[in-house]
Amino acid sequence: MPQSTARTAEIVIRNDMAELANLRDSLERIGAELGVPGKPLMQLQVALDEIASNAIKYGWPDGGNHKLFVRITGQQDRIEVEIVDDGREFDPRDAPPPEPQPAGRRRPGGLDIHMVKELVDRLEYERVGGRNRTVVTKRYARRRASERRTLI
Amino acid sequence: MSNSALSIEQFHSGVVRIVALKGRVDSTSANDVMACLSNLISGGEKAILVDLGGLLYLTSAAFRVLLVATDEAERGAARLALCNVIGHVRELFEMGGLLDAFTIHGSREEAVDRLS
Repeated sequence: MPQSTARTAEIVIRNDMAELANLRDSLERIGAELGVPGKPLMQLQVALDEIASNAIKYGWPDGGNHKLFVRITGQQDRIEVEIVDDGREFDPRDAPPPEPQPAGRRRPGGLDIHMVKELVDRLEYERVGGRNRTVVTKRYARRRASERRTLI
Repeated sequence: MSNSALSIEQFHSGVVRIVALKGRVDSTSANDVMACLSNLISGGEKAILVDLGGLLYLTSAAFRVLLVATDEAERGAARLALCNVIGHVRELFEMGGLLDAFTIHGSREEAVDRLS
C-alpha cells in the first residue's frame, strides 16, 4: 500500500536560529529514507529554512520565547512540510517580490519568500486560531523505479 | 548543533585569500561566513575569493551575507569575487536574480589570475 512508504516527523523548535538545524536534519533523514533525489531535497531544505527563519526573525517583534511546530510528511512522490507559529500574521503568498535593482546594487529584501515560491510546487497559508499555518509541498521522482515497485 | 553543516577553509594563493565553503550555508551558519569575511576585510586583505564549489546549497541568508561582504570589501578598497558557482548552487543564484550582483569567475585558478 502507498501508505507504507509514508514517513512523518513532528518537530517543535524554539524561536532561535540555531534550532533550524533540527529541521534540516529531520528533513534530510526523511528524504534519505524515501530515496528523494538530491535536488528536490535540497530545494525543500532551502524553502524550509526561508520560511522558518522568516518566522523567527519577524514573527515576534517583542521577542520572548516562542515555539514553531513543524510536521514533515514524506510520501512516495512528494514531501509536505507544515509550519505553525503564533507569531504575527504573515501570508507569504502576499509577499511582494524583491525590488529590481541595477546590477551590482541588488538588495536582498523579499528574497526569502521569493525563493520559496520558486522552489516548491505548492505554497498554502491560513490564519487559524491566532496562528500562522504555512504548508509547502515539493514533488519528486524517486531515484529508482524498481525500488518504487518493491515498496508499493 | 550545526557544526557538520558547513566547513570554512582558508588558503593563500599569492596575494589572494581563498575562502572555500563546503556543505550548506543557511540561517544557522551564515553568520560564520559573515564573521570570516568581515575579519579578512578589516584585517586588510585586498583580494578575497569565495569558492562555492563545495556547497550543497545556500539560502537567502547566505546571499545577504555575500552582498554585505561585497559592500564591506568595496568600502575597504578590497575586491571580493566568487568562483565555482555551478550546478544547484548556480540555479539558486539564478532564481534570486543574483548572478549580476557579484563578480563571478569560473575556476579557482582563473579567479586567482584575475584577482592577482
